[in-house]
Amino acid sequence: MILKKVNKENFKELFNKLKADYNIAAPVLMEKGKKELIEYEYVDDFADIIWDKQPDSSPKNIIFPQNNYLGNDFEGNAPYDDGKETIILGVRSCDIEAIKVLDQVFIEDDMYIDENYKKRRDKTIIVGISCPERQNSCFCDTLGLDPVESDYAPIYLFKDGDDFWIKVKEEKYENLFAELPEGDQTKLTEILEKRRDKFKESSFELDIPIPLPEKEMFEADIWQEMTENCLGCGVCTYYCPTCYCFNFFWEGADGESEKYKSWDSCMFSSYSAHASGHNPRDGKDKRYRNRIMHKFSYHPLNYEGLACVGCGRCIDRCPVNLDIREALKMTEQYLNEKGGAESGKD
Amino acid sequence: MSNYEKVTEEIQEIASKLLKEDEVDKIIGFGKGLFSKEVTPIFVSREEDVNRLLFSPEAEMSLAKYLLNYKDQKVAIVAKPCDSRAIASYLSEDLIKRENVKIIGINGCPGIEDNTACQECDIRNPVIFDYTVGEEMSDEEIQAEIAGFKDEIEEMSPKEKMEYFRNEFERCTRCYACREACYVCYCEQCFTESNQPDWVGDSVKLNDNITYHLMRAMHMAGRCVNCGACEMACPEGIDVRALAAKMVRAADEIFDYKAGVDPEQKTLLSEYDVNDREKGFMD
Repeated sequence: MILKKVNKENFKELFNKLKADYNIAAPVLMEKGKKELIEYEYVDDFADIIWDKQPDSSPKNIIFPQNNYLGNDFEGNAPYDDGKETIILGVRSCDIEAIKVLDQVFIEDDMYIDENYKKRRDKTIIVGISCPERQNSCFCDTLGLDPVESDYAPIYLFKDGDDFWIKVKEEKYENLFAELPEGDQTKLTEILEKRRDKFKESSFELDIPIPLPEKEMFEADIWQEMTENCLGCGVCTYYCPTCYCFNFFWEGADGESEKYKSWDSCMFSSYSAHASGHNPRDGKDKRYRNRIMHKFSYHPLNYEGLACVGCGRCIDRCPVNLDIREALKMTEQYLNEKGGAESGKD
Repeated sequence: MSNYEKVTEEIQEIASKLLKEDEVDKIIGFGKGLFSKEVTPIFVSREEDVNRLLFSPEAEMSLAKYLLNYKDQKVAIVAKPCDSRAIASYLSEDLIKRENVKIIGINGCPGIEDNTACQECDIRNPVIFDYTVGEEMSDEEIQAEIAGFKDEIEEMSPKEKMEYFRNEFERCTRCYACREACYVCYCEQCFTESNQPDWVGDSVKLNDNITYHLMRAMHMAGRCVNCGACEMACPEGIDVRALAAKMVRAADEIFDYKAGVDPEQKTLLSEYDVNDREKGFMD
């Protein structure tokens, strides 16, 4: 581990140097019709990067694009562009944790490794950034994450005014930063203590057993009320940094067909529709139940940690502002009323 | 007191009365979430929650579609004039029962923030209601509201239009928020979900995105009330409404038809008149 400290000018120089050898993606302002959104995009100009605001989308698209082209031969995995490595710059604790969830599902499981995801992921370097304050509807600290620092990124930034502290945790990246001046750990710790104070008061208190008890919650009578305003679109899943459901299909004319792995959404009725016409999740209440249960019950039963990182994007991007915090509060209340529910862990 | 606050007070008064006198089980209206400051559709069934109801420039959602979830229940609904047209349209299609719905219509709708549909909206008072709130807007006032409207897309050359729409639909992720927010889109199975024939590919590509939006627009002719819920719902800021709005104007110009202005009216496509002009929508 090494700790470096540079000012904005020097960091820009470093950026321009790295640009020659890497693709660099970072949060930038995108004009989308009448909307202005901060999203991860490949950047060329250091000045375009927005450091201090939570991006409106996660960097999911970069390591797990909506359309994964898998080639057109029946043998299997497709040509992923093996060119330059990609640096994703300025990823916050929530989104880093989300990448951990995707890694757990696609590569860390011993039985099934998604080669296509792995190729892309191996070529991606996550550079984290410490959150300056709570923003938008986020609540990662309620779920036990540390917005100020995350361990999962090999390189981590702390931006304080115009100063950038760079913590390089993996040795193989140390030489990229070797020439930069050393940073003072004591000083940084001071800054971070102050920053942690900002998060001391929780915006949202929650006390639910994890994993959520499967049978009890499946049979709970709260889902309909919870989803009364839900439209049944796929926004929450598409903008969720951890939602990874996908669909395999061939597309195109005979002889020219191509294989894809593309995003799917458990909020679509077609997701669970059977060929017989029967649909076990025939209402948005059942579909939303699955979404919540996957994040707070099924994922923690199978892997370490939740599959919700509290980024709040499903709240902010939802056309009707359906609030997962309200859903979780209702869950807490329901379980409390039933009397001291135990977690679903065996 | 602003118009919005006055309307809010009146809505709460009527809602309270309706619940107290047991006339309805539920009020469908706008309110704030428990944690978020954002406006969301809320469903009030207890008198003590009536003060959560509000009307504000952020009350952007079309509430009419929720009526389809409560077909056999007695409910009241807060309706902007465009929502009242959607309700009238449902009644004309026999999708809901008039006696089951109490409509709290908002008179003199001042418009919704960022909703471009309001710039050309010439129906500012509800077309159907049991109660009204706010002040009725006169024809002169309505004309003044829409006087500055100019349809910029209509002034583009075909080539510019193509480029404009390609740029817009390029961003589409096919989350189908526009479809789900739309009162017209109540089909049990959407053409996008059909795989025989496979109208729209599963991968999200520009051509398929354009197919989706064009096909959806063609289903809007004579049904869209130009409420703008589709464009407000789009997380990518796509000008989703433009194509449907073109259908609205075409129905008006060619057949002198406005959707959802009278619950007794026949739908545009179910009525045949030998005197109809030959000119089609796309001419």
